[in-house]
Amino acid sequence: MIYDEPKFLAGGDRYMLIEFGNEMNLELNFMAQGLASAIEQSKTRGVVETAPCFASMLIHYDPDAIAFRDLQKEMASLIGSLGPSDDIELDSRLFYFPTCYLDPWTKKAVEDYCDKITKKEWDPAFVARLNELTDVQQFVRVHSGTEYWVASLGFWPGLPFMMALDPRCFLTAPKYNPPRTWTPQGTVGMGGASTAIYPVATPGGYQIFARIPVPIWDTEKRFPEFEASICLFRPGDRVKFVPVSVEEFEGVEAQVKDGTYVYNVVEYQRFSVRNYKKWVQSLDRTQRF
Amino acid sequence: MAERVETMVPGNVWKVMVKPGDKVSSGDVLFILEVMKTEVPHTAGADGTVTAVHIAEGQEGVDAGTVAVEIG
Amino acid sequence: MLEVVQPGLETSIQDYPGRIGFWNQGFPPSGPMDSWSFRLANLLVGNEAGTAGLECQYMGPTLKFRRDGVIAVTGADMQPKLDGQPIPMWESVAVKAGQTLALGPAKLGTRAYIAIAGGIDTPEWLGSRSTFHKAGVGGMEGRALKPGQVVPVAAGKGKAGRKVKPEARPAFATDKRWTIEVVPGPNDDWIDKAGHERFLATDWKLSAKSDRTGFRLDGPQWTFTEKATNKAPEHGAEPSNIIDQGYPLGAINLAGQTPIILVNDGPSMGGFICPYTVPSAAFWKLGQSKPGEVYRFKSVSVDEAQELRKRLKALCTPSSIV
Repeated sequence: MIYDEPKFLAGGDRYMLIEFGNEMNLELNFMAQGLASAIEQSKTRGVVETAPCFASMLIHYDPDAIAFRDLQKEMASLIGSLGPSDDIELDSRLFYFPTCYLDPWTKKAVEDYCDKITKKEWDPAFVARLNELTDVQQFVRVHSGTEYWVASLGFWPGLPFMMALDPRCFLTAPKYNPPRTWTPQGTVGMGGASTAIYPVATPGGYQIFARIPVPIWDTEKRFPEFEASICLFRPGDRVKFVPVSVEEFEGVEAQVKDGTYVYNVVEYQRFSVRNYKKWVQSLDRTQRF
Repeated sequence: MAERVETMVPGNVWKVMVKPGDKVSSGDVLFILEVMKTEVPHTAGADGTVTAVHIAEGQEGVDAGTVAVEIG
Repeated sequence: MLEVVQPGLETSIQDYPGRIGFWNQGFPPSGPMDSWSFRLANLLVGNEAGTAGLECQYMGPTLKFRRDGVIAVTGADMQPKLDGQPIPMWESVAVKAGQTLALGPAKLGTRAYIAIAGGIDTPEWLGSRSTFHKAGVGGMEGRALKPGQVVPVAAGKGKAGRKVKPEARPAFATDKRWTIEVVPGPNDDWIDKAGHERFLATDWKLSAKSDRTGFRLDGPQWTFTEKATNKAPEHGAEPSNIIDQGYPLGAINLAGQTPIILVNDGPSMGGFICPYTVPSAAFWKLGQSKPGEVYRFKSVSVDEAQELRKRLKALCTPSSIV
């Protein structure tokens, strides 16, 4: 449900959580990111930092500069002035990542889990079956067939949570129970309705089925994309996974290693919620790739 | 000379290496506590024979400053 | 300037308020858990209150000075000794090149702070020298201190013999019981009336599995309102599951039935509810409590929590130093 009025919730003495709704719906994330962008532009006094999430936004404020109730008034007013979410437009970079689907590394991680923790169906087969796809090949076509919207970053630093933009590519998958104790670096996985990329080898609960050879996290700042931060992504970025073979994957891996890899990023586009919604209306959602 | 080996940190008892009657040398690890996901080994200060062990493997929430092992 | 002879259990470089502005990329602030003791240590040696210093946890380090300087030790009582002789805490002390400072196991409290005039001078990562070991940023090469490292210190002028007024120091619990202020929310409406009463009436025990990522509490089960049990399936299967949301620092995060207080190095977002949040003014108590000790939570309003913060901020100023 999208709330008629957002809810303003207190988090201790310095945080405000603004809830826009209580469902997984891109619209709610557009509202959260639209507000984050508006706050940055209007330089609202007392706001230290913001962090959008799927359907909400967390604000860290300075209580010496602004009281909770005044911040609430400012936010309500700013949200009001944004108008309907259809009016939201955001700068949005687009990354193309060479992606090895049905790769041997995530397959090994799943086998390891079956050996040591509990048996389960190989993740791509499991997700294909649950979403009524014909086979894992169709799963690859469907999963890779859309741009993904970076809705938020967190849980682990630099870890992006993304949502499929093309409704014909919507998929869902339950999480591991219990979770895995490790996941290969660069793994692409799905949990609930979101897709994530693991920036480093961490424990995890998402269904895993692909891997990218390019870093989304670089403490050594070996590539210009990491100039401003060690983390590649910002909320509002988009990602396109481009299926490649193991050989192509290893070729890119070598380029990353010797520093010659050039990130494929498109940086002139502006995401328009209105245009996006118009496009979505025009699609036949019963058609899968 | 009797030695009372106390726990230096509060934590869970991960491993106990000795039992009463064991001969130990200075520097031998007697037991290992776990706190903040870190192992904290506790060693004998001098040579001797273990006379008492007051902690058990798997024991949770031992206070710092608890007499854990006595060496005579 | 500071040679690490022995690193202690986990000693790391921290500054205050820590790493700010990168929450939306998943970076927590890190920084000292007991910022009260930390700030006073800096003021004692003539530094700005937030200058980078050392946080020592449970068992302190042994450090050798390669230059003359002025230091101060505050926080938990780790019985600091300079060349084998006890030195006072909550007071600035002159040190000479070649001298060795040794901190032992904490007797009262858990975390001790060492400030040095001039401040620690390691490279800043994303605007802060605070150590965030999960990401390998800040601190000494992204981690806690290791034997043999030499920690750089900027030039500074401190005066020995400055003291913190007794009434300006935190009073540690001596009976293993702590009253911790909490503000209801953000997700307090997910817990039913009995659940709230139970939470506030329980002696919660701090688990030894706690660290700077999260403080785990042992205690009774939580009970929920319909908001938790009657929700869209994408929230997740558990009553305490919610669509992934940002976590306030200090949130009491209910992972299944296990409350975990999210502290300085904790996750910035996730899929569990936060029925209460520990305000910043109570963090020093978290930082100084030991596993096995008891927390009793006291519900306060946002206004009350902010008042506590204001009072604490006023104590962390040069007016507390004589």
